[in-house]
Amino acid sequence: MKNLPMYLIVLVAGVATMIPRFIPFYLSFLNKFPPFVKRCMSFLPVTAIGALIFPYTILDFLPVWYAGLLGVIAAFLVSLFKQSMLLSIIVSVIVTYIALLV
Amino acid sequence: MKKNEGNFSYGEGFQDGIPIFLGYFSTAIAFGLICRNVGIPFIETCLYSITSFAGAGQFLAVNLFASGALLFEYFIGINLINLRYLFMGVALRTHLAPDVKGLKKMIVAFGVTDEIFTVATMKNNDCLSFNYMAGLISSSYLGWNLGTAVGFMMGMILPKALQMAVGVTLYAMFSSLLSVEFKNKGPGVLLLAGFSAAINSFLILVLSFPSGWSFVISMVSTAVIGALLIKEEK
Repeated sequence: MKNLPMYLIVLVAGVATMIPRFIPFYLSFLNKFPPFVKRCMSFLPVTAIGALIFPYTILDFLPVWYAGLLGVIAAFLVSLFKQSMLLSIIVSVIVTYIALLV
Repeated sequence: MKKNEGNFSYGEGFQDGIPIFLGYFSTAIAFGLICRNVGIPFIETCLYSITSFAGAGQFLAVNLFASGALLFEYFIGINLINLRYLFMGVALRTHLAPDVKGLKKMIVAFGVTDEIFTVATMKNNDCLSFNYMAGLISSSYLGWNLGTAVGFMMGMILPKALQMAVGVTLYAMFSSLLSVEFKNKGPGVLLLAGFSAAINSFLILVLSFPSGWSFVISMVSTAVIGALLIKEEK
């Protein structure tokens, strides 16, 4: 993929993003999927999040393996008690920064 | 009866989008930084945000690009992670005014993101005007694209440790979304996310799978297992 022009790679991502966005506005087959498939699909956001966080939140910050992990835990806790994504992101960056410096 | 042109003005939409603006701005900074670190030029970095306008999808795209995935893996991976937009679109459509058609409908479809969907549907109105949606999308889109450009440029001045720390933004965003899901739906959420995380880590660290396939396998297999094991929640 790296031998392709960069703008093309960017546009492929755009197309891949727009397909799931546009389909429900133009087709209504989604209501006809079997319930089991719908249930599987309803779990995808959560299962995606797990795989998105691990293992890269560890690998990205090596050799300080716990720096990202602490940041992720901090973000989780802040959101749990105060529903503000912005605040949890800020706290998370600060925690990770401190872990990297120490 | 639904009014043809729907409720709420552009200004109200724009205002409702300001919290999203702030959240996107800070997350997009991380995106800009990462693109620069991976060696993507400034214009293409901005083009990513302009054409995709998708948080997790863009991070995954850059991740797959940097890890040397095949174009096919890249395309499928991005599609899968954005699959949730399908369901959001289905639900959002029922909240729109009848005159949202043609170009207006295309603009609304383009603007479907997790946060825009959440704010729009929580408005608890089944007749949102195109102007309202356009306002909501405008402020969010602005935040995402400005943040991307600012992040790329910050890469030139920020000290290395702080740059690295800003990289946690993405994971913090996911973690915070997970936290909200956990609060709404209970511990099953953590179990599913944890299981998928474990499979993904095993595939990448132990079996050295390419990250694109590993991601797809983990998320799909865990979703199927979840559907088999967890009974109806509603």
